[in-house]
Amino acid sequence: MAVDPILDGGTSIDEVALEPLACGRDAAVVWDRAEAGTPPDAHERDCPHCTAVRADAAGLSSLVHRMAAEDIDPPPSVMERVMGAVMSELRPHDVLQLESPHGANRLGRPAAAGVLRGVVDRMDGLRARSCRIEQVPDRFDADVTITVTARFGVDLASVTARVRQMVLAAGEQTLGVPVRRVDISVVDIWGEP
Amino acid sequence: MQGFAEPAPVSVEVPPGPHLDDLTLVVRAQEGDVRAFEALARRHQAALYRLASRVMGDHAEAEDALQEALLDAWRRIDRFRGDSAFSTWMYRVVTNRCLAMLRKRRPLPVEDVEDGTPAPDSPERSAEADASMAALGTALQGLGDDLRICWVLREMEGLGYTEIAEITGASEDAVRGRIHRARTRLAEVMRAWR
Amino acid sequence: MTDVRLNVGDSAVARIAARRAARVPGVVALRADLAQTLVGVAGSVLGQDRSRLPTDGVNAVVRGQEAEVSITIATRLGHNCRDLCRTVQQEVAAEVAAQTGLAVTVRVTIVDVLLG
Repeated sequence: MAVDPILDGGTSIDEVALEPLACGRDAAVVWDRAEAGTPPDAHERDCPHCTAVRADAAGLSSLVHRMAAEDIDPPPSVMERVMGAVMSELRPHDVLQLESPHGANRLGRPAAAGVLRGVVDRMDGLRARSCRIEQVPDRFDADVTITVTARFGVDLASVTARVRQMVLAAGEQTLGVPVRRVDISVVDIWGEP
Repeated sequence: MQGFAEPAPVSVEVPPGPHLDDLTLVVRAQEGDVRAFEALARRHQAALYRLASRVMGDHAEAEDALQEALLDAWRRIDRFRGDSAFSTWMYRVVTNRCLAMLRKRRPLPVEDVEDGTPAPDSPERSAEADASMAALGTALQGLGDDLRICWVLREMEGLGYTEIAEITGASEDAVRGRIHRARTRLAEVMRAWR
Repeated sequence: MTDVRLNVGDSAVARIAARRAARVPGVVALRADLAQTLVGVAGSVLGQDRSRLPTDGVNAVVRGQEAEVSITIATRLGHNCRDLCRTVQQEVAAEVAAQTGLAVTVRVTIVDVLLG
């Protein structure tokens, strides 16, 4: 083995590539083969270096598997704290304007996009990916750009026409934001036969 | 059996929402969809927590690392470009969090493998199984951080060398070296238990 | 008209506004309850605890005889967002005016639409 470099904060010993075994074989490969349950080949059977590596691998193997199989799940409190923090970091200025005789109200853009994506998700064989809503400056109507993925075999032409219809309807009926234009692209196909 | 015009069987159809693919959820989260991010986080949190627990060797610290890593992910999700799998990216975020916490805990890199090695003077057969697991855990914590991280990603998470290199930012050769050194040292320590 | 002037503080107006807003059908939560709603913590339905008047999610500023109130809410699918905001505006303005005599402008922000 080569002389280990001094641990002076620069090169660590672990940066050094692995030296081959004295027999020339790559120790990591020998270990991986043993771990995978591959029987020793002719060389490995007779080679003391390979045999030693395989013995180490075999010795650890069952313990390592048991450790890997241990069930350790994070407590639910972690997700709760994370989502609480995420909510408190939401950018409040990212909003659409809602028309009102008493002064405009506001609708969070992510919430509005979520509604329109939900419309697509509920259609058979379609899922929404990106949904961008841009309001026409100084007006209340909006342009929607939406990307979808479709199940293999879905008639894309008729389905995009239907998406357009549904988005227009949801804009008016659910959001109260008239939709001026809808751009739809199918960006991926899933569930191939 | 490839009926070309045949529609996919309805029974195979998964309901939308809980089964959206990672990329779809990522794009939604990038556009500010909190629930999409939550779905992603829930989907990956068990694996990420396993990694953090084994790297930190402590459940409370693992919880902190996971929590901070998930927040890092939310704040930086714009930077995820989809060049690698989302899980790879998340493993990297968690690994970086763990390394930052380990650095704080132990400012100088210590390679003293012998430290923390259990001394099984008289291993009793009955308790041997649990004791040897505990010994392996202790030996694992005795490894240097880089060795431990690579070993856990390989042996506990079952990842390939290329993906581990991507996660740790080390070369694939360095990763192979670290994993083998970790394996060899653990084998040495555990020899006393066989 | 009388010479008696009623002095109403910001937080009093906020409480009145929050209480009224929470009762408008379609308002699922005020902003502060949002995190709980999101992670599915049970029993976060507004108004269960009448003794605690929520003001989180409601901001009120009183200037002389005028008040400005901003309210942040979550709703669920089935309510038109624009119309819901108008209703909250009207109901809250009317309630605050009735109880305090102030002229009120209300602005509503919907930050979440529950799809379930």
